[in-house]
Amino acid sequence: MFWRLVFQLLRGSRGRLGVAILAIVSGAAVISALLNLDLGVQNKLTQEFRTLGANIVISPASGAPAQISGAEVPSLMPERDVLAALQQLPSAQVSAAAPYLYIVARAQNIRVVVAGTWPDQAQKLDATWKLEGNWVRSREDQSQCLVGRNVARRMQLALGNPLELHYMDRSAQCRVAGIVDAGGAEDNQVFASLSAVQSLANLPGQIGVAQLSVTGTAQIVADYAARLAAALPQYQVRPIRQVTEAEGALLGRIRLLIVSMVLLILILTALCVLGTMAALAMERRKDVGLMKSLGGSISRIVGIFLAEVGVLGAVGGLLGTILGAALAYWMGLRVFGTAISPRWEVFPATIALMIVVTLAGALPLRMLGNVKPAEILRGE
Amino acid sequence: MFARLLGESFARNPRRKVLTAAALVIGMAVATATLTIALEVGDRLAREFRSLGANLLVTPESDTLPVEIGGVDYRPVDEGAYLNEADLGKLKTIFWRHNILGFTPFLDVPAYVSETGGATTLIGTWYKHEVPVPDGTKFETGASATHPWWKVQGRWFQDGADECVVGAGLAEKYPAAFAIGKTIHLTQNQVSGDGRPLVVTGIISTGDAEDNAVLLPLPVAQEISGHPGKFRQLFVSALTKPADALAERGERAQTDKNIQLTPTEYDRWFCSPYISSIGFQIRTVLPGTDVHAIRRVAETEGRILTRVGTLLWIVTLAALGAAALAIAATSATTVLERRAEIGVMKALGASNALVGGIFLAEQVLLAIAGGAIGFFVGAGLARFLGESVFGTPAAPRLILFPVVLALAAVIAMIGSLVPLRRAAHFRPAVILRGE
Repeated sequence: MFWRLVFQLLRGSRGRLGVAILAIVSGAAVISALLNLDLGVQNKLTQEFRTLGANIVISPASGAPAQISGAEVPSLMPERDVLAALQQLPSAQVSAAAPYLYIVARAQNIRVVVAGTWPDQAQKLDATWKLEGNWVRSREDQSQCLVGRNVARRMQLALGNPLELHYMDRSAQCRVAGIVDAGGAEDNQVFASLSAVQSLANLPGQIGVAQLSVTGTAQIVADYAARLAAALPQYQVRPIRQVTEAEGALLGRIRLLIVSMVLLILILTALCVLGTMAALAMERRKDVGLMKSLGGSISRIVGIFLAEVGVLGAVGGLLGTILGAALAYWMGLRVFGTAISPRWEVFPATIALMIVVTLAGALPLRMLGNVKPAEILRGE
Repeated sequence: MFARLLGESFARNPRRKVLTAAALVIGMAVATATLTIALEVGDRLAREFRSLGANLLVTPESDTLPVEIGGVDYRPVDEGAYLNEADLGKLKTIFWRHNILGFTPFLDVPAYVSETGGATTLIGTWYKHEVPVPDGTKFETGASATHPWWKVQGRWFQDGADECVVGAGLAEKYPAAFAIGKTIHLTQNQVSGDGRPLVVTGIISTGDAEDNAVLLPLPVAQEISGHPGKFRQLFVSALTKPADALAERGERAQTDKNIQLTPTEYDRWFCSPYISSIGFQIRTVLPGTDVHAIRRVAETEGRILTRVGTLLWIVTLAALGAAALAIAATSATTVLERRAEIGVMKALGASNALVGGIFLAEQVLLAIAGGAIGFFVGAGLARFLGESVFGTPAAPRLILFPVVLALAAVIAMIGSLVPLRRAAHFRPAVILRGE
């Protein structure tokens, strides 16, 4: 009897319910889209910030210094130790990592800094480099190298030219695969494969520093750095302050901005649905009067109406959430180029919110408890 | 007659009008607040991004290759080209001078510390330095503006004083020689005995090459290197706008003779604070230099600013949508609730046009009043949001006032049009019977 009444009520007033359903569905869609967006945006932005390059550096603690033209430069450490430590730790957060061995070699009788590294990681570690030519794909490839734009200009190197590097009495040759425009010290350097530079400098298995790009919030990066430091007690592991500090502050600001705007819209949408439901409830006064005159108790009558709007809220909420998840998916594609996958926790949250709001909207019906049926039916 | 009907309607049922007006006020307040923030966020965030430090690097054009590892130039002082410190004031005379937030010259000098007998690198720079600008004013700048993440334990050296700040790595290695308050002696070559005495005022930890160097005032470094008034590198922190197609073309036109900007394009490029146009303007006042964007910083900033901008516009759109929904729903409900009234009017011979006109006029009047109140509430909201997110309140945009009013009126009208059209088909008798 109860549910038949509810069902009849829903069927009986399709026109007016249309407005209410529309309000609930679009409200739920906006809310779920924004919640999905808000939860996904931090993840997306921390990934965007990785174009800033490495945020953790491993270097030897101040030990025996090497000498370059009379000045102290940081000392060396064995490549093996660092790689072993990196392999122990979970690699999911590390978006790129590369060892570096810097030597000062001569090419065309000009002194130039040669960085021995894994050229395949450079592309991920330094995503903002403007590269003319091609990246070196394999870290074992000793025949190719990348040169900074100033090096290329000074030595008049073009793509494909051979470059002869001399270090003491040894020499090595590589082909210029790409010219790097970085807007920094890298413009004055040559990037070759680590093994080639190690054999050129006769420093087998040695590296100067290792750079890591770790994705995640400031806390995740700090935790990772701490665990790495514990695994490598003899070396210095430090987050690059320029990157981590600025990133943390900026992310916080952007997050706060979006959260506060989303909150505003959430309140507005909830109010809108509430208003529509309240209006719908008031239109039901006549039905209440009729039921009351037929002997229905007010609590039962209100129960029927609450069930009615509850069903409305649940159905509209469900439709809206799915719509909203699709909207967030599209927004992710539009803004970040990758989709924002829907979060499961948004579904129950949105539906629950819609049910609560619709029920709250139907509450004015309770005020009808002391109204005499005759007055309502007369139309006052 | 029309005006009297309208007046009566407002006077007779103020409660219902208040509800509609409340929806309008809240909807338009949210719309105003989000629009204000969205309009302002680009500038605000660009300023926040300056916490990443400098985004332009100025070096001598005809330089030898710097032997630079980890940010320290190991070239001997007699090699390579230098720039003139005296020219730096000109940076504040370019077209986008107000967008130059700070600049810091650097001079790296290989030297020896008598106390440890070890070789080290001296980095001559400014921390807070007053630069005379050609127009007679002073501009205070230095590493405090371009390297905000540098932290010093103790205090920074006074500008031009015989003081220095020692890198944390060095201080850890020679704790006896580099304690705060000690005096160290610096020499250019190992032979000469006494050297230049400097008092250590602080220990710096930058997380970079400076941790193994000694930072000292630029004039002192110039004196030790024997190059008075010179420096090697200039870091500039400038407020910029994310690069777009025009910025790319403008940049490429500098080097590529095949690309020619039309005069209008050139003007638009020159008068936009793109990093390439600011770089171009710096090169004009500092001839013989190579000005280059630090791509790591500039690109990241551009990408994130563009993305957050798009994101906020989408959120603003959602806000506008939600506001429209709220207003349209309330307007529709008002019309539906007053069907009996419409029935009476029509039974007394009112034409559909008159009934519609009265309702629309009512809605528009309400929309204007609600929109105006909503604008001021929203401006307050934006102020509060700006204050809590960026630390400075967002200024109200008067340009939004007419926009918000028009928006409110249009939405309210659209919201009531649909039910009004349906009301036009009602037969008065049916409505009056209460069906």
